[in-house]
Amino acid sequence: MRMTQIIEALLFSSDAPLSADELARADESLNEDLVDEAIKELTQIYEESERAFEIKQLGGGYQILTRSVYAPYLERFDTVPKSSRLSTPALETLAIIAYRQPIGRIDIEYIRGVSSAGVIRTLQERELVDVVGRGDGLGRPLLYGTTGKFLEHFGFAELDELPRTEDLPVVLKGENVSEYDETSVGEEHSGRDNMGTDDLERIEVNDDESSPEMHSDSIK
Amino acid sequence: MDLTSTSLDSTREAFLVVDIERFRGPLDLLLHLIRQQDLDIFEIPISKITNEFLSAIGSISPSQIDNAGEFMEMAANLLRIKAQMLLPQGISSQEEDPRAELVYRLLEYEQIQEIRAHLSLAESYRGRQFGKGYVTPREDRKKQEITLTTTWDELYTTAISIAMPSMSVIDHKITTRLVAMEDKVDLILLTLQKLKRIEFSKLLEPFETKMHGVMTFLAGLELARNRKVRLRQAKMFSELWVYRFNDAEPEPAELDSHSGEE
Repeated sequence: MRMTQIIEALLFSSDAPLSADELARADESLNEDLVDEAIKELTQIYEESERAFEIKQLGGGYQILTRSVYAPYLERFDTVPKSSRLSTPALETLAIIAYRQPIGRIDIEYIRGVSSAGVIRTLQERELVDVVGRGDGLGRPLLYGTTGKFLEHFGFAELDELPRTEDLPVVLKGENVSEYDETSVGEEHSGRDNMGTDDLERIEVNDDESSPEMHSDSIK
Repeated sequence: MDLTSTSLDSTREAFLVVDIERFRGPLDLLLHLIRQQDLDIFEIPISKITNEFLSAIGSISPSQIDNAGEFMEMAANLLRIKAQMLLPQGISSQEEDPRAELVYRLLEYEQIQEIRAHLSLAESYRGRQFGKGYVTPREDRKKQEITLTTTWDELYTTAISIAMPSMSVIDHKITTRLVAMEDKVDLILLTLQKLKRIEFSKLLEPFETKMHGVMTFLAGLELARNRKVRLRQAKMFSELWVYRFNDAEPEPAELDSHSGEE
């Protein structure tokens, strides 16, 4: 019995992504590097033998999923739940949170031009976003960020898989933008012209300094 | 800069006929107005666009007024920019273009729409891959044994608490039997006192309703069962004969056929 098969057995039996760390717990001789190696090996085997499934990396975990070419056949079974697609406002709001996190409600509403409390609540209920901290502005507004579930829902391994803003058809020029909203997040505005990786990295900083008030139950 | 790639659907709209409900907010509407007329987003003719925006939101009905606040806010914003633009250039030359913030917001909004489209695509692609458990297994044939938690006391209490239906409510429909089988028994026996045998059809001749036929037949069966008569029929659907019990000697012609009940 090889380690690769142990990993395969775990992935086969799981209906949710398993992280390398979780997979390594299966045996004392395993560690995350060995798990990654096993995943690579399995991926190659599945590809070469043209299996109907593949190992997909979703939000830091691995899961065996059927290849998308087989979707039409699987969808014939009415037991397959239709994946609940998000509404346009929900996607729009998620797009803002994903690229600007951590971001407060006021800022989200300013970008969208419409009130967003309901949409944010829905996204929170679906665990696609969560409160990741509080801003420095008036009333210490709650700041939202995306979750692991967000990555799973969209099939991303990590946030870096989102397109870089420089690659989008609409590119913002960062020059002379007035400070339009001093009330909420303060510092967070400085990076407006650079909505890509800089903002994304800042989440981790916020995570580290989480305090009891930073948890989602405080917003209720 | 390509600004046409996002809301292609908005160009289908007839010129300046704007259904406010189609828009997700004032920025959406503003972008629509700009793109519809192929205006340069960096050189927005603010006076023109303001008028168009105001006329578009003028169609908001009182019932939609709850959602109109955001449009009103944008209208006020546009009017403010318009007023700033009217100030003599010399005074405000050092300051930035009053439209700059609006332009930035519009571009930012467009960029978000790009990302939204990207997320939507990723979502639909993800929806085409299935993990374990998506096709639910067929139901287990063996019924699971369920522990009964109801006690006999509970069952009894429930049973006696069920209201018995009131007897007075029940309607019985009684239809009188128009033809008595006893009459037919008498008829057959009387006939056979005079005759050794009689065709079944002859017994029915004086009567018209089906009920007579049914009751005569039942009477015949009953008498045959009590060994008062014999019934004979040469073949299916042929004439049925009723014989006196004692005189019923099988006739040669009827031997090879099935006899009726005894």
